[in-house]
Amino acid sequence: MSDEEHHFESKADAGASKTYPQQAGTIRKNGHIVIKGRPCKVVEVSTSKTGKHGHAKCHFVAIDIFTGKKLEDIVPSSHNCDVPHVNRTDYQLIDISEDGFVSLLTENGDTKDDLRLPTDETLLKQLKDGFSEGKDLILSVMSAMGEEQICGLKDIGKN
Amino acid sequence: MQGFPGGTPDPQQLQATMVAIEQACSLIQLHMNPSEAEKVISSLHLSLMPYQSCRFILETSQMPNARFQAAGAIGDAAVREWGILTDENKRSLIIYSLNYVMEHASSPEGYVQSKVSAVAARLLKRGWVEFSDQEKAAIFSEVEQSVRGIHGPNRQYAAINFLETLVSEFSPSTASAMGLPKEFHEQCECSLEVHFLKDFYCWAQSAVFNTADKILNSNVTIPEERACSAALRLMFQILSWNFKHMVEHESSDAKINSGLRMDTINLKKFERSLVKPGSMWREILISSGHTTWVLNFYTTLRQKYSYDTLWGDSPIAVSCRQLIVQLCSLAGSVFPNDNGDAQIKHLMMILSAVILWIEPSDAIAASIRNGGSESEFIDGCHALLSMASLTTCSLFDNLLKSIRHYGTINLLSALTSEAVKSVLVNQSEEETWGVDSLDILLETWNVILGDVDADKSPISVDGALAASNLFKIIVESHLKAAADSAFEDTDDTEYFHVSVSKRDEQLALYALIARAAADTTIPFLAQLFSERFARLNQRNGESDPTQTLEELYWLLLVTSHVLTDSGEGETLLIPEALQAGFSNVIEAAQHPVVTISWSIINFSRQCLDPGIRAKYFSPRLMEAVIWFLARWVATYLVPLDVSRGQVNRGEIDCTGTNGSQHSRKLLNSFAWENNQGELVLDFVVLISMLSLTTYQGEIELQTLTCQKLLATVVRRKHTCTYLVQLDSWRDLTRAFASGRSLLSLSGRLQRSLAETLACAASCIKDPEVSAQYLRDLMGPVAGCLVENANRSDIKSVAQQADVTYMVCCLLERLRGAARAAQPRTQKILFEMGRTVMNPLLTLLEVYKNQSTVVYMILKFVVDFVDGQAVFLDAKETSDLVSFCLRLLQIYSSHNIGKVMLSLSSSLRNESQAEKYKDLRALLRLLTNICSKDLVGFLSDCDGEGSPDIAEVIYVGLDIVTPLISLDLLKYPKLSRDYFLLMSHLLEVYPEKVAHLNREAFARIIGSLDFGLRNQDSDVVERCLAAVNALASYHFKERFGGRGGLNLQLMESEGSNSKVQESISSHFLRLLLQILLFEDFRLELAGHAADALLPLLFCEQELYQRLVHELLEKQQNPIVKSRLATAFHNLTSSNNLSSSLDRPNRQRFRKNILSFLVDVSSFMQIK
Repeated sequence: MSDEEHHFESKADAGASKTYPQQAGTIRKNGHIVIKGRPCKVVEVSTSKTGKHGHAKCHFVAIDIFTGKKLEDIVPSSHNCDVPHVNRTDYQLIDISEDGFVSLLTENGDTKDDLRLPTDETLLKQLKDGFSEGKDLILSVMSAMGEEQICGLKDIGKN
Repeated sequence: MQGFPGGTPDPQQLQATMVAIEQACSLIQLHMNPSEAEKVISSLHLSLMPYQSCRFILETSQMPNARFQAAGAIGDAAVREWGILTDENKRSLIIYSLNYVMEHASSPEGYVQSKVSAVAARLLKRGWVEFSDQEKAAIFSEVEQSVRGIHGPNRQYAAINFLETLVSEFSPSTASAMGLPKEFHEQCECSLEVHFLKDFYCWAQSAVFNTADKILNSNVTIPEERACSAALRLMFQILSWNFKHMVEHESSDAKINSGLRMDTINLKKFERSLVKPGSMWREILISSGHTTWVLNFYTTLRQKYSYDTLWGDSPIAVSCRQLIVQLCSLAGSVFPNDNGDAQIKHLMMILSAVILWIEPSDAIAASIRNGGSESEFIDGCHALLSMASLTTCSLFDNLLKSIRHYGTINLLSALTSEAVKSVLVNQSEEETWGVDSLDILLETWNVILGDVDADKSPISVDGALAASNLFKIIVESHLKAAADSAFEDTDDTEYFHVSVSKRDEQLALYALIARAAADTTIPFLAQLFSERFARLNQRNGESDPTQTLEELYWLLLVTSHVLTDSGEGETLLIPEALQAGFSNVIEAAQHPVVTISWSIINFSRQCLDPGIRAKYFSPRLMEAVIWFLARWVATYLVPLDVSRGQVNRGEIDCTGTNGSQHSRKLLNSFAWENNQGELVLDFVVLISMLSLTTYQGEIELQTLTCQKLLATVVRRKHTCTYLVQLDSWRDLTRAFASGRSLLSLSGRLQRSLAETLACAASCIKDPEVSAQYLRDLMGPVAGCLVENANRSDIKSVAQQADVTYMVCCLLERLRGAARAAQPRTQKILFEMGRTVMNPLLTLLEVYKNQSTVVYMILKFVVDFVDGQAVFLDAKETSDLVSFCLRLLQIYSSHNIGKVMLSLSSSLRNESQAEKYKDLRALLRLLTNICSKDLVGFLSDCDGEGSPDIAEVIYVGLDIVTPLISLDLLKYPKLSRDYFLLMSHLLEVYPEKVAHLNREAFARIIGSLDFGLRNQDSDVVERCLAAVNALASYHFKERFGGRGGLNLQLMESEGSNSKVQESISSHFLRLLLQILLFEDFRLELAGHAADALLPLLFCEQELYQRLVHELLEKQQNPIVKSRLATAFHNLTSSNNLSSSLDRPNRQRFRKNILSFLVDVSSFMQIK
């Protein structure tokens, strides 16, 4: 039985492409989509037809995953949409610098120092408080289309 | 006033209270600080003995709102304090309220009067059982005089109004809460019905008689009119009473012969019901000529006001018509036992009056369109529906024939066509009379045509002609509407599916009408089809076909309904009306059903030609075709044995009518003749493939294809066995297993397609072939997932959107196949599942931040366990269970303590919702594993090495519980699932609790504490059951000299500090607190009793101490002594013994109910 055709086509180094085309009809709520050049998360999909006997089109309401802005788009459902590659990586927090940057430990032991502290008040407070109490904090960093942002944290040490 | 409760008042304080309440009321009106104002008002409602203040406000305040609040406070306080009021107090409160209403009868603020009336009614009901007959008679004699009009029209109105509130207070569905058990309400209901209702009706009747002349002779509006319409309303209300205590058995045979029957279901749709008051009402309703009088009264009034088009909506007209419609629904032994003559005469009489409201229908419809009142028209339709519910088709038709030269069905047909026209013409306008009356009229058709078996007499020739004409009008109007709307955009919003099901309901009713005259309507439909097919074919690419397509769309829908029933989930039969009709047809080729079927299918076949398809098979037309095919195949590809059975039954039913039997046989067999059946099935597969591959992105169409058409043919064994042998089917499965073309379907469709394809394996007879089929189908899917999960670079490529998409597709397919597990296919599917277990754990790790993938993995496992659990042996179970535990652990390690943040609140809500869905899936998984134990228990074949399911679940629950936050428990479904699972565990395996570690134990008890105070009574019930199980286990263990749960101690808030105590004392304390001081729902009393009883046995000493403390705290000596008695009765009445057997539990249930009723009247005063 040949199953060659199911192989993933992506290679590890093919990361050059930041998006991937996917048929609009298959994009569901909670999926990702690029609208007006921004990576977004879909919060609402509805379909309609152009005239009763025309083709279906999808109406997306989506939220920019970095800025939180609401964007909308209408696409014929058989056409392709761009879907962003959204990555979430976990790093351990090493330090918070005076000028609002964080210092993070990557998996292979390097440090990553180019991320700003989050603007969100709650997250910022939890992060700073946790750090000053000496907790072991893991930061979740979301990246898509060349942008990065801290989007979550987790306390891994029991003490 | 003598006996008025509350002691001698202090004038200054009264004044102060009044001012405070008035201020609060005006604040509320101005919307200023409403919460503060509400507090002031509710403090009046809750204060001790507020009666004097309320009375003062009622009598002196100038502000109606304050008087309204004061009246309400009297009611609330008296119901609450009923236990401590003296008999004198109670009576005087009722009489006071009644007198107040009478004295202020002419006051303009009606709502205050109604409120006081309602309070009087409520209190009278509260004391109904204790008051003697004389006391009640004294109160009512006063009311009766007023109702009869002795004290003038205003008082008359007030008294009638009081009776109206009284009747609604006594009828259980509208009764107000009193903190008393259901039995009390039932007792009151019965007593009122037996002893008073008829008197009330007579009083109201005499009120109408007395005022009628004045009203008819006066030229201006007089106060009597108000009283009269109130009396009519009261009569209507009394006839709407749910009579049940005086219904006698009636001889039904005679009635059936006369054409009378009872059909209650269809009236319920419009919130009405048949009126069966019993023979005691015969004199007043039937023999006395009451109905005639009411009809004449209305007709005379109507004539008098014929110049006023809006008179139909005046209160007196509305209430009088309502009464007439209600009289129309009279049935049962109220009529004399005379073969139904009296009832038929009664119906004819009403019809002869009602006909004035609805005939001539076209003129009336026109006048409504010009702004006239539609109420008479709609009420007339209601009356027809009532009549139809009480008569057979032929009797219904004959009712009108005494006064017209045509039957009632003709009238119905004319009315319906007016309604249809008005609905389709005025679609955009706000007027709804067309829609409303069409609903009622179609329901009437449904009643007279629907139940063929009950009524052997077919519709008359005239009737059939009327139905046929009506159907033509319906079809023509709809075709016109379809053509007009062809260019509008469709909007598949959330209302879409609602409107589809509403439309289907309507079409099904149209279909009933069509079938009543099938010999003309089906050829008519066939002709419309062929006209449109020809129009499409003649077109040379110039004119736009859209209008024709939309017409075809509608025709396909209505024709499907005419030819087939919807019968969700049932085995479909060819509609009886079609089988029984067409007795003159001899050859299949001439049978209209056969010819229209083939003509539609042959037309549909053209979509296989790419050129024609591009020209006019639009996605929407394809939807209709697919839908038609699904229903047609399910109905007409009759299994051969069933088709023979049908014919045999037909022979018995209509011996002698050879023609009918022949056509019956013909209909049941034509589809399979000359290999047509196989050809149709082949076409089904081809058209499915087509819609899945060439109509890219048409989700509605593809959903219909997967979930309706393919599912239908696979679910039926006799079609499926043919299906799996077809080459086209093999192509479809091959495309699914290894092609790319089907990967563009959306996830949900991948799943249902996989399920359908896997299901078909059960229909392959040879087990080897069947197994190979499944392996070929799912092997590549599972293999691909395994291979890719094992890739060394999976971590880096996994997050790319295309890879994620592919993984989702594969997971959806696996899940679909997992749902198709059946005894014959289970083994193969389990092997498939086993191969992906480890890869799934890898993927769970890799995709821990991709909530959609995580959720799909969880859902796959849930469905997999659900389908497999019952079949597995010890070894397999052990594999599955340890896999599930690892899954739970990994999930938990990723998610515990995680805080996700986002700039957008809607994204934050989304992530909360995702968590909620995950957790529900996890709980479902544990519940599914539980079911394994139940089966294992039954078969009792637990070999060595099979895991202890109970332990597994406890471990699982312990992993899951910390993930569930209080916020998440606000989702009712999640909290229900959670508490259901937990109480199930505690009930079935209480002994395991003894071995839990301290943290796990504390979490379970903490959850129970939380659950007991939940708003959802299901949750509270589950928690009480769990406490009962724990305490009973503890008690039994200790009784047997073992330790029970003694080792498990709880930290809880003691009276002064934190104390360590056993769980039984913990829950005893908690339950008493909840029962006595919190708002406990009486319907849970039984469960509370079950939980409390073992706790009492375990903790006798603590219980005595708590009771003692409670009594000491009471300052009021009356309350104290009553509380002491209540506590005493709780444990010593009804011969309560100290065992946990059923009778003893029953006794304790009774005790606690009377305890709560008794105590709640004075313990919840704040």
